[in-house]
Amino acid sequence: MDLQTEVVIIGGGATGTGIARDLALRGIPSLLVEKGDFTSGASGRNQGLLHSGGRYAVNDPDAARECITENRILRRIAPHCIEPTDGLFVSLPEDGPEYRADFIRACGAAGIDTLPLSPREALSMEPRLNPRIIGAVQVPDGAIDPFTLVVENARDAESRGARMLIHTEVTDLIRDGLRIAGVRVRDRITAEAFAIAATWVINATGAWANHILRMAGLQIGLALSKGSMLITNTRLSERVLNRCHPPSSGDIIVPNDTVSILGTTSLRAEDPEHYEVTPEEVTFLVDELSRMIPDLKGERFTRAYAGVRPLLQLEETGDDRSISRGFALIDHGSCSGPAGLVTITGGKLMTYRLMAEKTVDFICERMGLHVPCSTHVQRLPGAGQGHTLKDRLLRLRRQTPSAKGEILCDCELVPREAVDAILREGKVRELQDILHRTRLAKGTCQGGFCVYRLLGLLNERHKADHRGGSNLILKAFLEERWKGIRPVLWGTSLKEEELIESIYKGLFNLTPAEPGRPGGGEA
Amino acid sequence: MKRFDLIVIGTGLAGLTAARTAIGMGAKVLIVGRGMGALTLFGNTVDLLGEIPPETEMAEGITHWIAAHPEHPYARTGWEGIESAVAAFRELFPPPYPFAAPGRGNSLLPTGAGTMRPTWLTPITMAAGAAMTPAETLIVGFRGFKDFQGDTVSLHLKCRGVILPLPRYGLEGLTAPALARLMDETSFRERLGESIRQQMAGERFIGLPAILGLRDPAAVLKTLETITGARVFEIPMLPPSIPGTRIFHRFREELIAKGATFRMGHPVSGAIIKDGRCEGINIDNPPLVAEYRADRFILATGRFMGGGLWAEMDRIIEPVFDIPVFQPGERGNWFGERFFDPEAHPIHRAGVVTDADLRPVDAAGRVVLANVRAAGSILAHHQAIEEKSREGIDIATGFLAAKRALAS
Repeated sequence: MDLQTEVVIIGGGATGTGIARDLALRGIPSLLVEKGDFTSGASGRNQGLLHSGGRYAVNDPDAARECITENRILRRIAPHCIEPTDGLFVSLPEDGPEYRADFIRACGAAGIDTLPLSPREALSMEPRLNPRIIGAVQVPDGAIDPFTLVVENARDAESRGARMLIHTEVTDLIRDGLRIAGVRVRDRITAEAFAIAATWVINATGAWANHILRMAGLQIGLALSKGSMLITNTRLSERVLNRCHPPSSGDIIVPNDTVSILGTTSLRAEDPEHYEVTPEEVTFLVDELSRMIPDLKGERFTRAYAGVRPLLQLEETGDDRSISRGFALIDHGSCSGPAGLVTITGGKLMTYRLMAEKTVDFICERMGLHVPCSTHVQRLPGAGQGHTLKDRLLRLRRQTPSAKGEILCDCELVPREAVDAILREGKVRELQDILHRTRLAKGTCQGGFCVYRLLGLLNERHKADHRGGSNLILKAFLEERWKGIRPVLWGTSLKEEELIESIYKGLFNLTPAEPGRPGGGEA
Repeated sequence: MKRFDLIVIGTGLAGLTAARTAIGMGAKVLIVGRGMGALTLFGNTVDLLGEIPPETEMAEGITHWIAAHPEHPYARTGWEGIESAVAAFRELFPPPYPFAAPGRGNSLLPTGAGTMRPTWLTPITMAAGAAMTPAETLIVGFRGFKDFQGDTVSLHLKCRGVILPLPRYGLEGLTAPALARLMDETSFRERLGESIRQQMAGERFIGLPAILGLRDPAAVLKTLETITGARVFEIPMLPPSIPGTRIFHRFREELIAKGATFRMGHPVSGAIIKDGRCEGINIDNPPLVAEYRADRFILATGRFMGGGLWAEMDRIIEPVFDIPVFQPGERGNWFGERFFDPEAHPIHRAGVVTDADLRPVDAAGRVVLANVRAAGSILAHHQAIEEKSREGIDIATGFLAAKRALAS
């Protein structure tokens, strides 16, 4: 099965799907390949922060202006992915009034609206804040749901003719003299290998950019920076809380629906595939953020996770936070590489649309097309839908008017029908794909109960891979879940973990993969 | 102020066993608990030690095993202690709902994941599970009852399976306790038995989720076996556990009948300590704090789930008496890198270390409180989840703690 298209996009994150949508809106055929599922990389592993740009205002005014522009665009095109919470930049005594004054000035220069608040005002708005604060500034920060954003970009692109292949990995670039003429790929589930011929290949793989470029003997200066985050079981604040000081580690709390996400750290990573959240990072985040919310230590943490930021490293500096968060569009043909290959990397979730726009502008220019970008005005397909808890509950009631509404996930109220609808669409290929597309396993028990139920449903539908049975999938899920849970096991989350271990290792007698344990395990 | 011979803290299987043992010895007993304990979540069968192979005789297997595990709670009770405690447990469950060991060693019973699991005593409602063969067994799940996935069970056991709609109700979203109460109704279980019979293709065994009634499970079993002509067995499933709830109710009924004082739903908020002894405890009952005094105390508050142990970010504590806890190292080492590590996670070894008399001791081996004993899963140096020894440890140490407490 060899395929042919105009543009191949490698990478199913925000940038890649954003490019696919932009190309589709301008009538250019494309095919996107992603080796995992959508949002498998940094797009699914960030803090979910809709930046106002305030964070960059003092040190990087260009980035700040980019952020506030995209912030306004995203509110318009993807309102259903955004909770317009606003954000506070909170000054503790050690942060001092000087930085606060600089901050307000710099925001003004970048076009970011600010509202200075007295400590009393800030505390009445966010009662869990440290009562020792000396002031706060309100800015138009918000919370963004990157999963929905990316899946909607992909869905919209597909409805306009783009093609998407997930679980499909690029194994090589096809050379045709001095040009790159397409990619060779392999389906990671069926192991089928095939070629995709294209005029243009866009490398939108973020932290994996050099993995692709190595296939053409190329390399760019890219530093990988691991950022770790913690999720609390409850929502700590109504608004995004930032420390009003030069951007640093452990200084942001982002509300996300019914929970909060605490971040981040910034540590050099070697490999975008293999990294973990260390106990030291967890202790650091809890200690550091306790300065803003003093009773944080008593909170229940449900999960830790990390993402790898691709930071452009055009010259060597010491601190990763001082490397520009800006992006680069590299046409390898114009810098002694093969023609037809473009890399777009660096940047951040906030600028994904702008990155896509610049990339497609470039392609159009080379193709001699004069079609303007419209992604800043064309709303995403689900834009009319709310996505707050209230909206979800209302939809649930509409979807399940009768008593047929069996709930698979009690934490996040995911009905059986929601999963059935995804199965009917026929695009999911493994368990994690279903989990990405619903809120299953994202609640307090982190899938401890509902994944057993989901696999029962898949067995009933004969969708589970029967080689070795669904318990192999269950065990693989529990291992994946473990990576996020293990770093936060103390207090209440440890109680829950004893419950989960008692179910799967005790009651169900699931054992490590090694066979031959006496009396144990799989029948 | 009320005074007792013995106060048992904890209403799980260890605490219930201790209280019943003490009542049997004529003591005036108070048993207090925050909730119903892990028994009502996971209690199904009585496990002693799952790693003893089914072909090995249990007494012999455990005796050898204890010799190799001198720090394990079983080393305090010995096989004799386990045997007499389990015999006392069985006396509490006469026919028609007895607990028995299907074999001389462990038996393998099917689970809600379609795996086989070793155990020692099974209630009569689970006994046929040890005898079933895949070709002769029908697994029955219920539409809308999500905590038992019948297709997962039948697929892994390689049996035939059916998912039946439940009679009478639009029952999607039904919980195990609600379903068990419905099974207590004769007309309901007769109709269910009839709809199972219509699905049968000559099977001799029928496996159902463990919901065969709360009040009279033996009668439910009999109805279903009469109608279907097959041997019916319950399969353990996601918590809560109906068989465990039956055990809890039986103990409570017995304790109350014999004059024990039962206080549930309120946490112990403090202990009155004087000269190395506990004189009394405070029970939080807002807006009041009640004080209860006794000569002896048994701490059977379980592990993390039950609240017997609590993990701070840097260490593990025992909240009631602040008894020293055997620590599993730094937080980064509490758990292995994989969920299914071949070894149990180091944290499972944490717990209260005792002398031979089950009195908690500090790191130097000195008794901490002369009249306090610890029993059940709060004890250190066992791996109840991996070992499949939860009920055995609870019953054997609860029994021993009460005997030793009243002998002092």
